[in-house]
Amino acid sequence: MSFIEVNNISKTFKVQKRSGGLKNAIKAFFKREYKYVNAVQNVSFKVKKGEIVGYIGPNGAGKSTTIKMLSGILTPTSGKIKVDGFIPYEQREKYVRNIGVVFGQRSQLWWDIPAMDSFELLKDIYDIPDEVYEENKNSLIRKLNLEEIVNVPVRQLSLGQRMRCEIAASLLHSPKILFLDEPTIGLDATSKKIVRDFIKKLNNEKKITVILTTHDMSDIEALAKRIILIGKGKVLYDGSLKKLKNLYDNNKYITISTKYKINIKHKGIISKEKVHDGYKFIIDSKLINISDFLSKVSKSAEIDDVEIENENIDNIIVKLYEEYEI
Amino acid sequence: MKLYIKSLKLHLKSMLEYKASFIISFLSQILVFFSYYFIILALFDKFDNIKGFTLYEVLLCFSIIQFGYAFCETFARGVDQFDNLIIRGDFDRLLLRPKPLILQVLCSDADYIKLSRLIQAIIVMVIALLKLNISWNLLKVFTLIFMILSSIVIFFGIFLLAASYCFITVQGLEVRNVFTDGGKHMAQYPIGIFKKGIVYFFTFVIPYAFVNYYPLLYFIGKENNLIYAFSPLLTFIYLIPCFLIFKLGLKRYSSVGS
Repeated sequence: MSFIEVNNISKTFKVQKRSGGLKNAIKAFFKREYKYVNAVQNVSFKVKKGEIVGYIGPNGAGKSTTIKMLSGILTPTSGKIKVDGFIPYEQREKYVRNIGVVFGQRSQLWWDIPAMDSFELLKDIYDIPDEVYEENKNSLIRKLNLEEIVNVPVRQLSLGQRMRCEIAASLLHSPKILFLDEPTIGLDATSKKIVRDFIKKLNNEKKITVILTTHDMSDIEALAKRIILIGKGKVLYDGSLKKLKNLYDNNKYITISTKYKINIKHKGIISKEKVHDGYKFIIDSKLINISDFLSKVSKSAEIDDVEIENENIDNIIVKLYEEYEI
Repeated sequence: MKLYIKSLKLHLKSMLEYKASFIISFLSQILVFFSYYFIILALFDKFDNIKGFTLYEVLLCFSIIQFGYAFCETFARGVDQFDNLIIRGDFDRLLLRPKPLILQVLCSDADYIKLSRLIQAIIVMVIALLKLNISWNLLKVFTLIFMILSSIVIFFGIFLLAASYCFITVQGLEVRNVFTDGGKHMAQYPIGIFKKGIVYFFTFVIPYAFVNYYPLLYFIGKENNLIYAFSPLLTFIYLIPCFLIFKLGLKRYSSVGS
């Protein structure tokens, strides 16, 4: 049996129909019309212990709804979830001891007082034994570099500092699963790196299972070997990031620095663009392989420098979204 | 309980981060309270009694209701401001914690500014008790304690009901004010001075009458039936449906979402 088993879950919300204008607003006040929205439809997947899974999809795809069901906040309309032997929405109080949740957009720390006070309160909320608490707290403070910031009121912290405190707060009770909902949103490059490195290390050392939602593909590249792509409430892709990349990886971006003029025509050259010290090509490596392309170019011009880039993961995702019309 | 006390301390710490604001709010609360108080004084300046109740009897009645209300506003602020928890989405966070939800809601907020009202209620209560000629006995001491406790209980119950209402809709919270503010203003006076229908409403629908009317009658010696002395305890029963409705709302929330 897998660690996390999601079996054919669906979630339907009843939402009030709204339309613009005061007249409609008044009408809606007396007679409300509802429509049903299928936020998540027949989603199934399994996650092994110790895996890091990137759960991605455009805004409104059903990511947060799935996370809410997995963490026991919402009950699925149909289907079943089992995590580590628990049914999250039925055994809430027991289940949540095993999980840590970080919402990038929402804080769990008390705004006006230092994070340390919030930690102390969490100790009581989770009934963490003294020695475990001290050990976890100290190691988190050390690993996330929090020495100087845990005693400052949270409202005075920068976003990156706060996020590090948030992550520490959600790990004090040594959970087996960590849900990260957009953990790097709005962070600068350094903070992102700290957060990513930390999560990676945590996963390595403690075999903690991580479910991560994000719009930042570099998060996924840095952390998750496996991704689940969801769109319009349905699972569109579930597999390794590498495989997904290979599917769309035919396009190579080649920048050639040269003083000469290049005139080249061949099947597979998608575009050519003049840049200040040379040219930028996009080629389809299925139709023309790179060495052929380069030898053709070198016949007509002397090459000073060459730079070859793979298709950017963001572009792949955009393509995928387009392909599935989400 | 330990958790609750710890969070009360943290709320105090949070509030003291803004000292000036705290002091100003505290003082303005005193003014608000005195305006209520002076209305009653003004009323009794014209009339000796209202349907047989004297100034200090009314003040006792008034202070007990104010005490319960201020107590709940201070220490059960989270339940009072439950709509905020839902609107801000912080309630989801509570669902991720391994503790009973009502306890967590209680821990989520405390408003020490309202302590000023609590203190004033106690002062008025003491004055009223000193001025009234009460033939004290042990049972009357208990009756008074019951009245104070039931006042806390009833407001807690009403707050819970209002909170449950938030599960269904976060709008239209005026409904709750009919029960809290409206009810409170009426219950500040001995309810017997009102028409029959109102008395029944405050006996059977929201049992304010058991807080400070029926026991008051015993307390000031207008009734000798012992049932009157113990009647405040009936408000504890009132809590049961309040809890059940809250549970029901919660169930709805997890299946409907925000």
